[in-house]
Amino acid sequence: MEPAEVEFLAEKELVTIVPNFSLDRIHLIGGDLGPFNPGLPVEVPVWLAINLKQRQKCRLIPPEWMDVGKLEEIRDQERKEDTFTPMPSPYYMELTKLLLNYASDNIPRADEIRTLVKDTWDTRMAKLRLSADSFVGQQEVHAKLDNLTLMEINTTRTFLTQALDHMYKLRTNLQPGESSHSQDF
Amino acid sequence: AEAYFPVGPGLGMEENFLSLDDILMSQEKLPGRAESSLPRLALLLGQGAGSGESVPEGSKLEIPLWLAKGLHDSKRRIISVELPKIYKEAWRTVFSADANVVDLHKMGPYYYGFGSQLLNFENPENPEIAQTILQATVSDSVCSPQTFVARFRRIMDSSQNAYNEDTSALVARLDELERALFQVGQKGLNDFQCWEKGQASQITASSLVQNYGKRKLAEVDG
Repeated sequence: MEPAEVEFLAEKELVTIVPNFSLDRIHLIGGDLGPFNPGLPVEVPVWLAINLKQRQKCRLIPPEWMDVGKLEEIRDQERKEDTFTPMPSPYYMELTKLLLNYASDNIPRADEIRTLVKDTWDTRMAKLRLSADSFVGQQEVHAKLDNLTLMEINTTRTFLTQALDHMYKLRTNLQPGESSHSQDF
Repeated sequence: AEAYFPVGPGLGMEENFLSLDDILMSQEKLPGRAESSLPRLALLLGQGAGSGESVPEGSKLEIPLWLAKGLHDSKRRIISVELPKIYKEAWRTVFSADANVVDLHKMGPYYYGFGSQLLNFENPENPEIAQTILQATVSDSVCSPQTFVARFRRIMDSSQNAYNEDTSALVARLDELERALFQVGQKGLNDFQCWEKGQASQITASSLVQNYGKRKLAEVDG
């Protein structure tokens, strides 16, 4: 899976906008959206919000977790705990990138938010690597990690599964009576 | 008794007859000895100059793995093989002490694959070899399969942290299996960084095609 695909999935999340046009309720395959009235906030999926913003038809309202104080709390909690803390959104990384790239004028203190999210991301990736290392190091067969987001999993997926594959093959060498290797007739 | 021995479908980690990695790996040579005289094979085995010469019994040979595996048979003694240095006890202690310092590329670029295949020749040291290749757990017996596990951390960290840097120094000491893993780790990292910068949605010319333009200009200039 590519990061772009994860971003595509993230664009289904809902975000609040304030449109400057009016439109009746629209019926899409995935569900209904609207009605849109100028000045009245309405919830739409991110893909639509970004598109409207690019056409200058709305103003984006940042999600309530995208705030410096809240993110600082999250970052500090992440640094304190050994396990993964639940994130305010399962797509926090993607939403941050999208909203800050297209609507940074609607988000106060955008640069600080970017830095805080990056810090949290780095801490979580370091924890993931530590956990992978102990998984391989102890040659365990089963591990459970809570509160991981899809983007984090996606970054390490291929590497971890290949490494575990190799480890498994090397470990089956240890089995006595390797009938799997030689063929005797 | 049959004249030919069927050999398994693939010699190597991928266990695929057509896998290039497996083919290259099985070409690595093993030290061995001719247990009986091999008529007219001296030229093939690099022993003599004349096409009719035979290899006398007991002479030392360097045979590629695929040949050794095919000729190896406990009933008919044609050749016997010996462990390469790197899988012997002396090196196994080095690995259990600190696996990260060893230059696995120099020691035969297919350490893991070759080592796994060596286990097919009945050798009393096989359990220890298998252990060393994988990881050294805490045990007084020499080597566990620790090499892979001990070096795993290094590979993971370096592949996930070296963005846009020259990685040749990092991969120089890895064997082929580790290099493949390193590249996979790098790709994961690069894909993410590229997405974060917004380049994932940009269309760029393929690197294969960019060179065509260069060559054309050179031809025109003469």
